[in-house]
Amino acid sequence: MGNITLEKVQKKFGETEVIPPLDLAIEDGEFVVFVGPSGCGKSTLLRLIAGLEDVSSGEIRIDGKPATDLPPAKRGLAMVFQSYALYPHMSVRKNIAFPLKMAGLNAEEQNKRVERAAAVLNLTDYLDRRPGQLSGGQRQRVAIGRSIVREPAAFLFDEPLSNLDAALRVGMRLEITELHERLKTTMIYVTHDQVEAMTMADKIVVLRAGHVEQVGSPLELYRNPRNLFVAGFIGSPKMNLMTGEHAARHDCTTIGVRPEHMRIVEEGGTFTGRIIVSEHLGSDTFFHVEIPGMDEPMTVRADGEIGLRHGDTIHLEPEARQIHRFDEKGLRLA
Amino acid sequence: MATQHSRAAARFMIAPSVIVLLLWMAVPLALTLYFSFLRYNLLMPGENPFVGWENYSYFLTDPAFQTAIVNTLILVLGVLFITVLGGIGLAVLLDQPMWGTGIVRIMVISPFFVMPTVSALVWKNMFMNPVNGLFAFLAGTFGMAPFDFLTQAPLASIVGIVSWQWLPFATLILLTAMQSLDSEQLEAAEMDGASAWSRFWYIKLPHLARAITVVVLIQTIFLLSIFAEILVTTNGGPGTASTNLTYLVYAESLLRFDVGTGSAGGVVAIILANIVAIFLMRMIGKNLDA
Repeated sequence: MGNITLEKVQKKFGETEVIPPLDLAIEDGEFVVFVGPSGCGKSTLLRLIAGLEDVSSGEIRIDGKPATDLPPAKRGLAMVFQSYALYPHMSVRKNIAFPLKMAGLNAEEQNKRVERAAAVLNLTDYLDRRPGQLSGGQRQRVAIGRSIVREPAAFLFDEPLSNLDAALRVGMRLEITELHERLKTTMIYVTHDQVEAMTMADKIVVLRAGHVEQVGSPLELYRNPRNLFVAGFIGSPKMNLMTGEHAARHDCTTIGVRPEHMRIVEEGGTFTGRIIVSEHLGSDTFFHVEIPGMDEPMTVRADGEIGLRHGDTIHLEPEARQIHRFDEKGLRLA
Repeated sequence: MATQHSRAAARFMIAPSVIVLLLWMAVPLALTLYFSFLRYNLLMPGENPFVGWENYSYFLTDPAFQTAIVNTLILVLGVLFITVLGGIGLAVLLDQPMWGTGIVRIMVISPFFVMPTVSALVWKNMFMNPVNGLFAFLAGTFGMAPFDFLTQAPLASIVGIVSWQWLPFATLILLTAMQSLDSEQLEAAEMDGASAWSRFWYIKLPHLARAITVVVLIQTIFLLSIFAEILVTTNGGPGTASTNLTYLVYAESLLRFDVGTGSAGGVVAIILANIVAIFLMRMIGKNLDA
């Protein structure tokens, strides 16, 4: 019902190529997250799929049918915008019913579907309010409600959580994941937050400057990043990357070790340095360690109760099986 | 820091402008009120006795008064109707991306810079004149008899001239309002399956509601006191066919030199304008709150 295929899709704004020819297949029922730094073209890609931008060349197929030249409304997709884009002069009920009204459904059917969507999203008590009288999270739910009543082939989310505060964001993240479990509809979700990508996705598409850097499940990307960019982007805090003699010892140009794969040892160890910052999160402690001969401080994850503090000397040993090796082009070596 | 001392100083500092403003308003108003109760005609010098409500009864029972009220209403409502509808239309068009937007926008706004007397003269002599006017020429090329606008349809002609002057104002306000509409709302409506017309009707027009009320309010205030256009084109005629309240007051006091009746008319105009203002503020206040 909701598979989407992109074939050599390209987007140019004037002379600048925002998205070089790109192939991508999204299976029915998948939760796909487009992730990348700002300006990487992830929102543009979403808007191309939605039909809000025209592709410069290439083809988009939805449900196996060509959709490249279809207007947005005919593609059977629903979108949740970053600003929610609720209609401020309409009540919540009218907002949710708007796509149904545009589709020409009768009032009774509209009401039935709105009530059902409101029940799913806990909005029943707010149906007669205006968007201006709702909190950020409630507005978000109204925007989702407006998209689910149409029973679309796929949902498109454009950074839907970036306007919410941290606590609400975690809550809405769960709600969207639950919604996906329940509806089993294809969802495409754009974010710059790799935590959202890791926690929600079945499949992550990492983008940089319009290029697809890697496609895979969250754990695949975590375990086997295809290149230095993905290695640095997925995982928090970032992977430690080292060049020079440390890399040469492993026959490569760059090695990468995640902070959680650095062991703290009593003596010896591959690296020895001084703690310049320690961040205590309670469950974990992150140390930023200055190591002589290295440009950037190394990040290390340690137990929350560890006794080390700012200024202490620390000995570190990477876990041998968790060292990622990259060649001079930044590509992963097996 | 609003201490007792600084507040006193502030009052002292703004006193001159407040006093000037008060004199500016209060003295003419008081004099008008005073004159309106006197028999005061410049053609009959001598005593100016106090006559009570006589001037008011003359003014209100004058057949020209009723015509003037009706004409004022037609003028205000007609111009509002044309400028609001036209302004919405032009705002929608000018909001579209096109080549030469900057120049077109300046051209659309330029009528507002032409002073009323000049634009009325241009319309009267260069467009509506039955002998030399452009409209007469156009009618002639189609073999039709030229239409004498200012004689045969004086009030409609004035409505047209004034609408031409105020259309840019409405367009400007509505265009800026249109541009403040969040483009994501339109995109959302597009995804929801709304046609171009539905997007206009359900999204753009409600968004403009506030700006439309502002246009109606401001224009009403100015349109109630239209004078120059009438003086320059028809002199209120033929007969009283294009006389509005402002022009009637002018005719009483400066054509018939009856200062007393003119003043009474002025007071009536003030009262009527305030009644309109109160209704408008009520109506619009509600709209602005929402």
